[in-house]
Formats: sequence, C-alpha cells, structure tokens
Amino acid sequence: MDYFFIIDFVQSLVDGLLFGTTYALIGIGFTLIFGVMRKLNLAYGAAALAGTYIGVAAFLAFDAPPPVVFLLSALGSGIIGIVVYYCCFRFTPTQVPMASLLASVGMLLFIDEAVVHASHGMPVPYPSVFRNAIIEIGDIWVRGDLLFVFGICVVAMGVLFWLLYRTPLGLATRAVSQQPRAAALCGIDPTRVNLLTFGISGVLGGIAGAMTAAAVGVLSPIIALGLTVKGLIAVVIGGLGSIPGAIIGGLLVGASENIFLLLRGVTERDIYVMLMLFLFLTLRPGGLFGSTAGRD
Amino acid sequence: MDFYFGLAQIFGVHTLLGLSAYVVLLTGQVSMAQAGFYAIGAYTAGAMTAMFGLHILPAIVIAGLVSAAIACIVGFPALRVKGLMLVVATLAFGEMVRLFFFNLSWQVERGGELFGPDGAEGFRSIRYFPENGWEVWHVTVFIWIVVAVVMAALWWMDRTRAGAVLRAVGHDEVAAQSIGLNLTAVKVGAMTAGGFIAGLGGGIYAHTVTHIEHGVFGVLLATFAIAYPILGGLGSVFGTLLAVLFIQGFLIEGLRFMGDWRSLLFGALIVLAMNLRPNGLLGEHAPRLKSILRLGKPAPDSLETKDAN
Repeated sequence: MDYFFIIDFVQSLVDGLLFGTTYALIGIGFTLIFGVMRKLNLAYGAAALAGTYIGVAAFLAFDAPPPVVFLLSALGSGIIGIVVYYCCFRFTPTQVPMASLLASVGMLLFIDEAVVHASHGMPVPYPSVFRNAIIEIGDIWVRGDLLFVFGICVVAMGVLFWLLYRTPLGLATRAVSQQPRAAALCGIDPTRVNLLTFGISGVLGGIAGAMTAAAVGVLSPIIALGLTVKGLIAVVIGGLGSIPGAIIGGLLVGASENIFLLLRGVTERDIYVMLMLFLFLTLRPGGLFGSTAGRD
Repeated sequence: MDFYFGLAQIFGVHTLLGLSAYVVLLTGQVSMAQAGFYAIGAYTAGAMTAMFGLHILPAIVIAGLVSAAIACIVGFPALRVKGLMLVVATLAFGEMVRLFFFNLSWQVERGGELFGPDGAEGFRSIRYFPENGWEVWHVTVFIWIVVAVVMAALWWMDRTRAGAVLRAVGHDEVAAQSIGLNLTAVKVGAMTAGGFIAGLGGGIYAHTVTHIEHGVFGVLLATFAIAYPILGGLGSVFGTLLAVLFIQGFLIEGLRFMGDWRSLLFGALIVLAMNLRPNGLLGEHAPRLKSILRLGKPAPDSLETKDAN
C-alpha cells in the first residue's frame, strides 16, 4: 500500500465516477420504459448508438461543431426510440411479454446491421471538447473531457427530473407507471404517454451514447453492447423502477469497473462487475432502492 | 453433398440450443444464459476427448452433466428474481462464462502436441471425428440421433405431469403456488434440464467445428437460443425445430444470394414475425396432426389464458 498505489486508486475511482454518469443515463432510460410499459426494450442500446452515428454523420459531412453534433445525436436517438416503439411495442399484445422482447431483439439486430452497413464497420473519430484541459487537485488529475461528460449527464438528469415532477406530462407519465388503468380512466392516453416515454428515453440514450463516444474519442458499433449490459446492471443494482437507484447504480458500475481495470487488467474487468451483480442479486434482489413491487 | 450434411449438422446443434431455452421458457423465464451453458459444454467435451482421450459419447454426457450442475448452482440466486431482472442476471452470467474462457489457459501434452484452451486463441484441434475415421454423414446421423432422443424425451415430458407443472408455473405463478407447487424447485429443475441439453449441444458443436473460441458464445448466440422457441411457439418442441429451419435454413442460408442485405432483412423479418404472430409460428397450442388432416373443422378451443391485470 504505497503512496502511488493510493493515488492510482483514487484516480481510477474519480474517472470511473465521472464516466459512470453515462451508464446512469442508460439505466434511467431502461427504468422509464419499464415503469410505463412493464416491458424490457433490448433495442435501447442500439438505438442510442444509431443516434450517435446520426450526429457523427453531420460531423463528417458538414463539419458541424460539437454542440450541434451532440444535439443531433440526442434527437436522432429519440426519433429512433419512437420508431422502435411503433415497430416492437405498439402492436404486440400486452399479455404476451415475450413477443415484444423478441421483436426488440430483432430490432437490435436490424439497427446494429444498419449501422455497420452504413459505416462499413470502421470506427470513426468523434469530436470531443476540453480534450487537453486537465484540472490538477494535488496529485489527482481530473480530465476536462470527462468532467464535461459528467456535467452534461447531470444537466440531462436535472431536465428529466423537472420534466417528470414539474410538468403535466411528467404527472401523466408517473400516473401511467403507477396504475395504467386508473390513469386511462382519468383521461390520460397511455399510448401517447408510452410514445413520449420512448422518445424521452431515446434522447437520454442518445446523450449517453454521444458522451461515451466523446470520452473515448472514437465511435464504433461495439459500444452498443457495453452500454446495454452495463446500463441493465446499473438498473438491477439500483432497483428496477427507481430513478435515483439507476443513478447510484450507474456510478457504482462505472467506479467499480475502473477499479477492477486497475487491479485485474482489461480482460478480467467485466467478470468482476458481473460477479458484483450476482452478489447484489443474492443479497438484495430488489436492488438498493427498489420496492418489493419492483420485483415484477 | 457434404455441404448439405454440414448444414444439417448446424441445424442439429442449433435445435439442441433452442430446446435448452424451450424448457426454461415453459416456466415463463427468459434465460439469456444458454450460450454460457453451451460454451461450458463445448469446452468440457473438447477437453474430455482432446485432452483426456475419452470416447465422444461419455464426453458429451459429461459435458451435459457439468453444464447441468452449473445451471443448477446459478439457478438458485438467479431465479430469486423474475422478468427483466432475470434477463439481466442471466445475460451477465453468460458474459461472465465467455470472459472466463477468454482468460482460461490450460494445456496438456499428448503425443508430443499441446492440447487445450489457450486464452484468446481458443481451443484448437478437437479432432475426435477425423482421428477416428468418422465421415461427414456419420457425424450428421449421430447428431440427429441425439436431437431425436432429446426431442422425444421433451415431447414425452410435455405429456406427463412434469410438463403440466412447468406450464402451470409459466402461465400463472400465483395460481401454481397456491396449488402447492414449489416454484423454486420447478424453475431450478427446468434450468438444470436446460443446462444439460445446452451442454450436450455445445459438446457436439465443439467436435463438428474442431476449433472453438470465446467470441462465438456471446450475446448474439444467447439471443438466438431464446429466439428459436419464442419464434416457433411454445406449443410443442416442433415449434423450436421449425424456427431453427426458418432462421438457419431460410434467413441465413436461403437468403445468401442477397449478400450484405441479408443481415438487414434478418432483424426486420423477426420484428415482422413477432408483430403478425406474437405467439410464435406454431402458436401457443401446437396444431395436432389429427386436426390438420381434418381440414375445415376447427380444432376445439382449449384453455385460453387471460391476463387478469
């Protein structure tokens, strides 16, 4: 336990916590969709990836500035989220949960292939900001681009909270997730709420995808799988249906991932993250913030 | 001709993979861990023949038993949760198995050569079939005998109390529990049986391709495993077989002339199929041969399940 090890450790922890906000955003997206529809949307990570590619297409074609790229990524992903809703969830019967699950798997394969087809499977550079800015606190360096990722994700969460708790739309969303039938009796159209939820969570996914790509510097189709799996783990650790839980879960996944990277190397890193998930499932199946109702 | 035998081998091992997910799906659980069990079976059977010189039959049975044991152990923590949580837990387990084999290096010397898994390089030269003079059609017949035995066993199981118990848990857990069924025992049992079948399939797969590596057993294979029974319908084992023929035969082999566009069409067709036939191609209640022969007369409606929200 020498001094340098502790510095490395704290450094990893800080980087991981900053990057973990992207997992938190993906986790919130899964939780929102699950909240209103009680369905799992496996095409979510792929939709986020496709949105990010729409942004990068603008970057390559018109040399758009980074803010425009990020905005286009988010909006593109939101629109794809709505398309996913219409293709996989709108017309499949509610009492057959496996139909929509498999349809979303089909959509995942389709979007993934479409992206690979359009980009020829090659990684493309992604614009980043504050790449060279570094804030030094003692011996700990905080990377400017990671701090930017963190900031954007926190702003996105803030906007989401405002949307959910301060607007009529948020009220309707929360009503549908609590009791769909009662909400429908009060004059809320569940289809419209579902549609908007897919759109909103798509935008969140697009932001997460854009921030992941901005932090890594290149965009390649393989990040979709990482986003999906890590986002789902964040949801499970935090508790299904709980937004604060998804945030804490995402930060926890990001931090532990980086620490295991430091301790055990890149090939074994994910094994320990999965083991952590199993530990949570065994000891606290409801997650950190989940109610028992969250256990489906 | 060898090409078609090879194709039939692929159909065979994928049917086993699909059937392993079918057993678990009957209890209403979506398990994404089947690719993991398949991988365990593949590596175990490969080790048995290539490293320890066993015959193929005991090798795949051992592979099945090892997978079943691990499925049983994983089943207890994983099946405490349901629905979405179970999907995540089993997905994570599958990835964990894949990464374990990615990091596993364990080689033994046999006849002056090194045999065994070698990390990212994979497990090379599982050459039981060529070394013992099996021809392609021998292997194909062997695979389909195993598939037929497994299908017959599952078909028979479906007609006994065990099948009724599995379906009861799948349709309504609360009702099943209230008539005194032990939910955990039923689910873990189904998981164990699924693990055994996946292990068998993986063991055979390792020997047909002679070289296995961790990348094959990823999330994509796991989604294929659950896609077969869901797409085919949970009415009977023939739904899974039909879906394997549809996906592997039509979508993957039959559409080869479309080149690159095939893989695009693949996902879109699955989406379309689930929208048009949400209960699978053969449906929740598989059509009986009798009612197909007596065309025109509708089959008597059997028990309809309604979702009491």
